[in-house]
Amino acid sequence: MGVEAVRAELVRTLPDDAIVTHPAQLRTYECDGLTGHPVVPALAVLPATAEQVAAVVRSCHRHGVPFVARGAGTGLSGGAQPHADGVLIVLARMRRILDIDVANQRVVVEPGVTNAEITRAVAAHHLYYAPDPSSQIVCTIGGNVAENAGGVHCLKYGFTTNHVLGLQLVTPTGAIVEVGGPVADTPGYDLRGVLVGSEGTLGIVTRITVRVCRTPQTAKTLVAYFDSPAHAGEAVAAITGEGIIPAGVEMMDNLAIRASEADAQVGLDIDAGAALLVEADGPAAEVDAEFDRVLALCRDAGATHIRVAADATERAQLWKARKAAFAAMGRLSPDYFVQDGVIPRTKLGEVLGRVAALSEETGFRVANVFHAGDGNLHPLVLYDASKGESEAAGEVAVRIVNMCVEAGGSITGEHGVGTDKACSMPKMFSEEDLAVMQRLRHALDPAGLCNPGKVFPTPRLCGERPGPYRPHPLEAAGLAERL
Amino acid sequence: MIAAVAPETLRPTDLAEARDAMVDAGRGRSLVIRGAGTKATWGAPSKPALVVDTTALTGVVAHDPADATATVRAGTPLAELQGHLAEAGQWLAVDPPHPDATVGGTFAANDSGPRRQRYGTLRDLVIGVTLVTSDGAVARSGGNVIKNVAGYDLAKLLCGSLGTLGLVTEVTVRLHPLPQVRRTVTADVDADAATAVVLDLLASPLVISAVDWHANTLAVWLEGRPAGVADQTRALHELLTRHGATGADADDGDAVWDAMAAGHAGEDGDTVVRAATLPSDLPAAASAFQRCLTEAGAEGTLTSHVGLGLHTARLTGGDADSQGRFIAAWRSAVAAVGGHVVVRRRLPQLADTATIWGPDPSAVALMRSVKAQLDPDRRCAPGRYVGGI
Repeated sequence: MGVEAVRAELVRTLPDDAIVTHPAQLRTYECDGLTGHPVVPALAVLPATAEQVAAVVRSCHRHGVPFVARGAGTGLSGGAQPHADGVLIVLARMRRILDIDVANQRVVVEPGVTNAEITRAVAAHHLYYAPDPSSQIVCTIGGNVAENAGGVHCLKYGFTTNHVLGLQLVTPTGAIVEVGGPVADTPGYDLRGVLVGSEGTLGIVTRITVRVCRTPQTAKTLVAYFDSPAHAGEAVAAITGEGIIPAGVEMMDNLAIRASEADAQVGLDIDAGAALLVEADGPAAEVDAEFDRVLALCRDAGATHIRVAADATERAQLWKARKAAFAAMGRLSPDYFVQDGVIPRTKLGEVLGRVAALSEETGFRVANVFHAGDGNLHPLVLYDASKGESEAAGEVAVRIVNMCVEAGGSITGEHGVGTDKACSMPKMFSEEDLAVMQRLRHALDPAGLCNPGKVFPTPRLCGERPGPYRPHPLEAAGLAERL
Repeated sequence: MIAAVAPETLRPTDLAEARDAMVDAGRGRSLVIRGAGTKATWGAPSKPALVVDTTALTGVVAHDPADATATVRAGTPLAELQGHLAEAGQWLAVDPPHPDATVGGTFAANDSGPRRQRYGTLRDLVIGVTLVTSDGAVARSGGNVIKNVAGYDLAKLLCGSLGTLGLVTEVTVRLHPLPQVRRTVTADVDADAATAVVLDLLASPLVISAVDWHANTLAVWLEGRPAGVADQTRALHELLTRHGATGADADDGDAVWDAMAAGHAGEDGDTVVRAATLPSDLPAAASAFQRCLTEAGAEGTLTSHVGLGLHTARLTGGDADSQGRFIAAWRSAVAAVGGHVVVRRRLPQLADTATIWGPDPSAVALMRSVKAQLDPDRRCAPGRYVGGI
């Protein structure tokens, strides 16, 4: 069998402790943050260099064996879910920071370095790595690249794709190439932009050059309380409508406030219908002026009361409460699904109303925690698996994401498609859209061995055969409907 | 029906006609895609049988000021779009030096101007794209929301592809608010001092929108709210003083920035060469520029987006031989500090792939593979791109 042939080759090229074959050890890799469908890989390897990664990939390619890359395994969409007959390539040993260029604000790292480690390495120079997913203390930069990770501050500062300058890539056929680089405008197609967010389906990144940013001179944070999420949504619309791009705008509804407060105990008002956490940062005078406007707009939108963080400690506490929201849900419910839909910011009130109605209709409580500034919703559907509610709750989560697409949004803002949402892709994209994306995939991975079964709907996953590529029907109606 | 303006020019007016034009009834003719033609000289010359002219694919399809997004057809002049957006106090935050360019052409060339320092390029601002391939596939990627990771990001692939992968008919973009006020501060400094000032500026908490250097003048663009800009202007003057330089203020500084834009764009008959280095390597690029110019017997000026490490040589004198010698020598000097050089405008004699693009990039095999998948018959501007793609 293919995997056995790969193992036999790799024992000659990799150190003994870099090959995992014991079933109990393999089981530790059976899932990432999407835990519902564990798959034990046939083999796991822990390469320490790009050359070792390339050797593994070449061996897999030679024997027609699928392979999947994995960082810290914090992804929420199953992007690092192993293949039962394949090799899992674990990048945890590639965790060196290779170069720090303070003057040019660039850092070169291996994929297993955590997001937060990059900031720690440059903090003494008043620099930081801007994308800040909630899992930043443990998630790796390699995984961030695969998923185009976002975070609280990406509304103002951009996503992973805006901060990655260059990549060293092991292609799906095992070649090592450089894509982009520390210098701008590398000649040729922007493959770096294609690779970031491709969810590990176009190769394995073994070295990453990122830009780091100067820490802002000042940051100010407030929590404004409202009777309802709809009123808080009006404040968000007023802030963005005035042309203010805050460093972050986060909303929590009453359920989320209660859970976060129980966990973090920072004095949030647990009786409020909604809380809006707004941060402004930048040059001091600019921030002062902007923050005053934000305060006024929140009051105008009907804020019942507003708490302004007095100092850095209080700011950190408020953010801790926000970032604890997901984990804190355990206090409210034994199980929950985290959804990750996006809507145009102007549809906030409408979609939240529909979510509330759905909650009422189905009897499942839904807590809302989200990046209001960019319309990225994270409704949490609370359920009890021991009562056999998993399937029905999952159905509620799917219906919420369908509402997002109907409102002109997206099925995922930052968690990725992976296996979790592959079957929802046809809700957003036509067969032809997906076929062109598949052509791109085929260009880099002609054998279809690199993280197969992710991103695109497959018969095995979705129970229906996606159509083959066909020229577009000429009917104007068809074109109009799609565009 | 497609109106045939000239024998080999097709000028589609909607998506269905655009698809027909690209497919060309299966006749297999090679084509180039043309908007306003302001960057027609970029890349190596391609000798197409067909021109697909986008200038009738115009109009703002949707603009939602509250969402700060807009969808616009590719042939829309960028200036026209900016005029429309300005009525709502917004703009598409890209300021390339070609005022007549179309949105689609600016995207296909990934052209940008000084305020790229703050806002990035269209690569960073386009959130959705509609593509028509040469074999008639019509595909969308991205969407209408600023945050979205569903599916491959085809917009990144197409941005800067110079029409070699297909026709972009429409883009959806993220918009920014127009700043309330702006200010330009200039100082007379040489390349070494300019670099020292800019690295210090980047390390400071000041948030600048642009910084260019040309003819020993450094210009810094500040924008935002009145109080913020006033405060930052004071801090910038202090920083310049620490470097022994004296800053001069101008409310808008249009004249300064127009001169910078002319240095980056060039005119018909010029040869324009763009080098990229790390920002700290401006002194190396500038001294090599002077030396190579003198040795080759060419004439020209250097204009730099200092904070981005992008340096434009505009050659206005010397014959093709001397300009060719300059390009080769400067390319080699820039490569020695880890940079690269690409020719934009050029004399007709400077037409070969190696002169224009330099050595093949590391990932050229992947790029060829992408081209083969999306344009299998090599009909879109064959030979124009890197590596003869």
